[in-house]
Amino acid sequence: MQATFPGRAARLILFGAEALAAAVSPSTYTAPARRIAARQVCSSAWQVLPAFMLACAILGALVIRIVDSTARDFGLSGYTLDLYFRVLVLELIPLFVALFVAIRSGAALSTEVALLRAQGELEPHRSGAADPLRGELLPRGIGAAFAVLALTVIGGLVALVVAYVSLYSLSPWGHAAYARAIGHVFAPVVLAGFAMKVAFFAIAVAVIPVAAGLASSRDLRSVPDAAPRGLVGIFVVLALVEAGSLAIKYA
Amino acid sequence: MEPASLPPADPPAEIRHAGFKAGVVLIATAVIAVAFVAYVLYARGVFENTQRLVLMADDGAGVTVGMDLTFSGFPVGRVQKIELAADGKARIEIDVPEVDAKWLRASSVFTLERSIVGGTRLRAFTGNLEDKPLPDGAIREVLRGDATDELPGLIASMKRLLENLERMTAEDSSLNASLAGVKTLTDRMSGPSGALGGILGSEENAKKVITALDRANATLASLEKVSARLDGLIGKADESVFGAGGVMEETRKTVANLNAALSEAREGLRKADAILADAQKISASTREATADLGNLRQEVESSLRRVNSLIDEINRKWPFARDTEVKLP
Repeated sequence: MQATFPGRAARLILFGAEALAAAVSPSTYTAPARRIAARQVCSSAWQVLPAFMLACAILGALVIRIVDSTARDFGLSGYTLDLYFRVLVLELIPLFVALFVAIRSGAALSTEVALLRAQGELEPHRSGAADPLRGELLPRGIGAAFAVLALTVIGGLVALVVAYVSLYSLSPWGHAAYARAIGHVFAPVVLAGFAMKVAFFAIAVAVIPVAAGLASSRDLRSVPDAAPRGLVGIFVVLALVEAGSLAIKYA
Repeated sequence: MEPASLPPADPPAEIRHAGFKAGVVLIATAVIAVAFVAYVLYARGVFENTQRLVLMADDGAGVTVGMDLTFSGFPVGRVQKIELAADGKARIEIDVPEVDAKWLRASSVFTLERSIVGGTRLRAFTGNLEDKPLPDGAIREVLRGDATDELPGLIASMKRLLENLERMTAEDSSLNASLAGVKTLTDRMSGPSGALGGILGSEENAKKVITALDRANATLASLEKVSARLDGLIGKADESVFGAGGVMEETRKTVANLNAALSEAREGLRKADAILADAQKISASTREATADLGNLRQEVESSLRRVNSLIDEINRKWPFARDTEVKLP
């Protein structure tokens, strides 16, 4: 029987809290766990890094060109960088990264958890063996979360560099105006809010696929449902976090 | 129902040097994040020395923390704090980096401008860059240059202007009536009587005026003749007054006769003076006779004083008497 929405949400929060507690516990980071986490970071971030950076550069060049020409048309070119930083660096890139990692790793993670559950690998009576949740799934979740953090930071850096080069090419004389715009947009409160939002995105991408897999029944036929359920859950949570962040920042 | 069993999954493909690669990614992430935070702090001027400038504005709307104070289009300061001062004005505290403080002088003027498009701008103007430097913590009034504040008044004036224009250009407006009158006038002026006909309203009136002018000309001609006659008359009068045997010569003779009569009169008066001296002597002997009259007067006065004291006595004994005045004869 499928659990109700509040029930699923409560279980998700409980599971997320347990996973977070385990993630900050040093005992979790055994050598195999580190290896699995590293493998997850590599598959989610390292392997896609060149393509991801290229995508960010193209997106950044497009957005800065559109924003700059529009702002010039209205005589507001002084606000080009402000608008670019606020839209692309603070909002779009973190969301884009979270969705990217969720689709690349989250779907596979949900399916694997659902399979383990269908095979009875996660049963309590088998606790004598290595706990797959703690030994295999938690490091993979941690790896996915780190991938979100890493790709967001690297993508943001690429977008910042692209904006400078697009506006001032490689001339050093634009630096004063550029630094002033960065200082204006990235106020301490905004920076703290950005860090919190990215952390929430990372946790959502790490936890929700596992929770979706655990929520499936022991019937093998329910395994294919786990991945879409996990993705929908991630989308909903990402949208809620983004909306909350925007509401706090601009309301 | 027994769960279906799956064949054992293939082990995931091993990634070579996964630990190293993941370490590179994570260390790069940490370094970028820390460097970016440091850059933001630098960009916000945390590491540079600043001096404080306080601007007092009537209205602080549109001013936000972090907005720039510009000089010639370049930012030279940043708003750090806005608060309501004790006198009800907006107190805007601005940090000016010491390297940019040279653009602000004691005589600098600061304006707060709100444009229709775009945000509020704080601007500084320095007329004399050789003036004394702006001291740290200086408090200055900020002038308001607000385009939108003028808009309601401008729109109201425009509306009034348009209403007036509408009234002026209406079918039955005074302007239209005046223009119609001007047209009638110009039509008449282009007639046979010209401008005179236009001004007087009809041909008949113009003819009357012309006739009157002709008559006036004739009258002037006859007046010229009269003045010529008057000239002759005046010449004759001059001859009769100032000529030989004229009025003036007769008058001179009469004045000479008058002088002789006056000399005779002076002699007569001298004789009368001698007679008066005799009369003076007679009046001196009369004065001696009047000395006895003086003694008599003193006696009368003493009697009167006595009567007066008697009346006073009676008045003291007779309390109802009101009028105590004694009138001398």
